[in-house]
Amino acid sequence: MAVTPKTDADERVVLDHGTGAGLSRELLEFAFGVLGEVSVGELEDSASILLDSPHVAITTDSFVVDPPFFGNGDIGKIAVCGTVNDLTVVGAEPRYLTLAMILEAGLPMARLRRVLESVRDTAIEAGVSIVAGDTKVVRPGEADGLYLNTTGVGVLHRPPMRMSHVRPGDRIVLSGPIGNHTVHLLSIREGLGFETRVLSDCAPLNGMVNALFRAVDTATVRSMRDVTRGGLSGVLHEYAAALGHTLEIEEAALPIEFETRMAMDMLGINPIHAANEGCLCLFVAPDAADAVVRALRSHPYGTKAVTVGTVTGVPEPAVELVSADGRRARLEELRGAELPRLC
Amino acid sequence: MGAIAVLTNDLQYDLVNKNEERIRAVAEATPSFSSFLHEMRKRGHRVFHLQLINLPDDPNAELYEGRLPSQKGTKGAEILPEFLDESDVIVEKNKDSGFYETELHERLQAIGADTVLVTGMQGQICVQTTAADAFFRGYNVWVPADCVVSAREKDKVRALDWLDGYCATVADSAEILRILDAEGSLPRKVVKTP
Repeated sequence: MAVTPKTDADERVVLDHGTGAGLSRELLEFAFGVLGEVSVGELEDSASILLDSPHVAITTDSFVVDPPFFGNGDIGKIAVCGTVNDLTVVGAEPRYLTLAMILEAGLPMARLRRVLESVRDTAIEAGVSIVAGDTKVVRPGEADGLYLNTTGVGVLHRPPMRMSHVRPGDRIVLSGPIGNHTVHLLSIREGLGFETRVLSDCAPLNGMVNALFRAVDTATVRSMRDVTRGGLSGVLHEYAAALGHTLEIEEAALPIEFETRMAMDMLGINPIHAANEGCLCLFVAPDAADAVVRALRSHPYGTKAVTVGTVTGVPEPAVELVSADGRRARLEELRGAELPRLC
Repeated sequence: MGAIAVLTNDLQYDLVNKNEERIRAVAEATPSFSSFLHEMRKRGHRVFHLQLINLPDDPNAELYEGRLPSQKGTKGAEILPEFLDESDVIVEKNKDSGFYETELHERLQAIGADTVLVTGMQGQICVQTTAADAFFRGYNVWVPADCVVSAREKDKVRALDWLDGYCATVADSAEILRILDAEGSLPRKVVKTP
């Protein structure tokens, strides 16, 4: 469909954009126009898609990040990355996304355009298509600009990776530094001075994982998680509980950049609890750990990959931090972090 | 040798008078703090007051019992007179760091400053963030410990430890004046960043 996207900088979303009448159709056409090649919307009530595998992975996520635009990303980029990464970590190849938007009346169309451009660019990088969408408009004050939801469909060409595949002795690998996304967003919110020094790690990681699986035997990668809300601590405790074993983390090996540690110290936050948007935690066979790290480091999103710990045979679901001088301390799981809207 | 500038943070009616702890902490610091500013002016160094102006549409601005303090043009936003001199420069800021989307860096560059002395309230927020921001921008950062105010002493101690550990030289104001008079400048601390 040939659509001329509106460019009037003063134009804003109005309630009638959400009533299902003519303005709603115009809004959809605007969105399709900006999304361009990544959109295969046909304005039917459902999209029909073809898959080349009987085994699919499906995931959904909602995005309310504050602020919606930050130094090197925005809510549109996160909305694609978050769902693409959730598909990727079970071993699926992300193919299709839906995109639902809740818009606050008064939102400048120019801001909506920026978000949609970001969705488009990130979808192109991740190799996914937007096959269905929805828009709702709420009254001023009933939302904070815009919220997004994406649902993703991926295909599995191998059995999905599961936590239960992890064995005692497996090594724990991180694909990149932790804490940067949290520091970046908090710094923008409060003007802390770190926002240009520490950028968000937000990225679609399926390309990096594809490169990894080309380089190593896929069976040696037992399980993966993207380290998002709850931070590395949340991932480790989830695995410890599922496996019934103690996970041992070498504190000095944790990849925490100088400025990030500086900011976290100031804020009184342990980076291990901080949210990320472009970091994977991988559980790999012990004799494959070095090869996995090398393969990750060969990709732009994994240049700082590092092995940080081990799944022990100790039959107690816990996470232990081992300091450089050998002291051990139990890492307790947070009940809450009081750091809302980081994704 | 570059110029030296003193930066103060948030020495404003609304912010100082928020509670008894702040009023008491500022009162205790005022004699040596205002004296230090006076001595620095006497030696020809400029004083820049970072004035927090809360914007009505800032969702992260702290409210005082439902009221937005320190709004532009109000008495509450004014700098306390005991710290202010007509030769001083007032730079408006809207967030914690005095550099965040302000003209501070340009103003400092205009006078050729390469060293900043970061002071004011509160030590654990605005002083830390302004000092960190200055450090990242390449300034030689010093913090006169007795010119840093926190409502709670333990917050000040922790902030000074952090500043000393990461990005600044922390010393008493008398010691800073002594070094300045003896050497004519303040040596830059070597901070190893990986």
